[in-house]
Amino acid sequence: MQAEQQYSFQIVKWFAYMAVVYLVVGTGIGVYIASELAWPVLNFDNPYISFGRLRPLHTNAVIFAFGGSTLMATAYYIVQRTSAVRLWSDKLAWFTFWGWNLVIVSAIITLPLGYTQSKEYAELEWPIDILIAVVWLAYSFNFIMTLSIRKVSHIYVANWFFLAMMIMITYLHVVNSLAIPVELFKSYSIFSGVQDAMIQWWWGHNAVGFFLTAGFLGIMYYFVPKQANRPIYSYRLSVIHFWALTFGYVWLGAHHLQYTALPDWTGSLGAAISLAMIIPSWGGAINGMFTLSGAWDKLRTDYILRFLIVSLAFYAMSTFEGPVMAAKTVNALSHYTDWTIGHVHAGALGWVAMVSIGAIYHMVERLWGTTIWSVKLVNLHFWMATIGTAIYITSMWVSGIMQGLMWRAYDDYGNLAYTFVESVAQMHPYYAMRAAGGLIFFLGGCIMLFNITVTIRKAIANESAKSAAVANAVI
Amino acid sequence: MTKLQEYFHTDWSAMTGTDWFGLVLTVSVFIILVIAFFWTYNPKNKEELESHRTMLLDDENDIKSEK
Repeated sequence: MQAEQQYSFQIVKWFAYMAVVYLVVGTGIGVYIASELAWPVLNFDNPYISFGRLRPLHTNAVIFAFGGSTLMATAYYIVQRTSAVRLWSDKLAWFTFWGWNLVIVSAIITLPLGYTQSKEYAELEWPIDILIAVVWLAYSFNFIMTLSIRKVSHIYVANWFFLAMMIMITYLHVVNSLAIPVELFKSYSIFSGVQDAMIQWWWGHNAVGFFLTAGFLGIMYYFVPKQANRPIYSYRLSVIHFWALTFGYVWLGAHHLQYTALPDWTGSLGAAISLAMIIPSWGGAINGMFTLSGAWDKLRTDYILRFLIVSLAFYAMSTFEGPVMAAKTVNALSHYTDWTIGHVHAGALGWVAMVSIGAIYHMVERLWGTTIWSVKLVNLHFWMATIGTAIYITSMWVSGIMQGLMWRAYDDYGNLAYTFVESVAQMHPYYAMRAAGGLIFFLGGCIMLFNITVTIRKAIANESAKSAAVANAVI
Repeated sequence: MTKLQEYFHTDWSAMTGTDWFGLVLTVSVFIILVIAFFWTYNPKNKEELESHRTMLLDDENDIKSEK
């Protein structure tokens, strides 16, 4: 590979920086709505900031604004580095940047106003859905065309995971969003009843499987070996991980609909395949962790690597917990409770956010040709993110299991032992604890934004000083 | 009919075209996954596949960032 190779890094820089901004915004809204649940007075009887409207804003901000920006930054970075070429089209890349941000701004405006399709993780109304599809196709097309002009024969496995994500999310988003528009911001899904539920969770779980797992595994397979400066533990395991995950994940959606009007066998199938998915998921987690075999001491000093490796621990934990919760016996207790919220956040905070944060710190140093301004602040961020996540998920586990047990407790006469309101009252300490855990995680994100902003500003100032010195020398 | 047989009983005559499409696709994917597993872990293919492990480490010092 030639040393003078040029890459399109401006677009990566902008996506990476915006990802950190959206991390702060998304988790900030999360902390607020968590506080609304603990202290309902914070709703202020104002519909625009009520939990019901801000909750989808929170999920859209963390999944699509933060997660999406991270995926676009890393995919554009990795495909160039592993293909040894510039992006196929800079213009198309900038179209995805402005288009994606337009989607996010549209969400920030429409969701608090109450415009929603009422489909979880797909609340945005039909004109925004069309914009998402166009931007996503532009992103995918640019990625695929960059691969097509690569200067190395092999396509590195991280790119396969990104490709799987791009293909599946296109398919999932388009089918799940099929709707009949009746007004500019009102439409009705073409599906109804149990079919609507099945399509919803086929989308919902595969958004987790492909947007929040496959794409971030692509990140893991590039940044863990790169940050550790060691080859991936087993390339063969990564190949099996890829194919098993790609063809296994699509079956899982029905486990969200146990004990509903859906045919019983579909839930059983979803649970069975969920349990089988522990094998590839743990294979991938082990593959990432064992990359450090013989060099575990790096974890003592490399705080960026700590984010990446701890994210794999959370990935392993949540991909074990998920299948257990999918099993019908456990699901009878856990479904509709806060245990699900705890599980989701073990994956979202512990896996997705941590691996993203590690990747962004790694990229910032290389993109701006500098070192991070304060390693101490990275270390502080690491501990805040880890402790915040631990507090969040443990409070939700306790709360969720308590809810499940209270809801199904009967007295000697067969009557419910507790009213629903009694279970809500019992949740208060755990909701307050959850808000505290989220606040700690959010403050860690603020520290990251500050640290990265200072790092970038100093790098730009140094570059300007160097350029001025060169110009003066020429004069 | 045992309980297990009852659980797995299938009314083949009631299968629609969509059902058959799904069944064939599912079984095909399963067979392909089994083939992929044995191909990947065949010792003959080890060297070829594992040669890509170091791909990332070969280009560490070649970034020339856009300013």
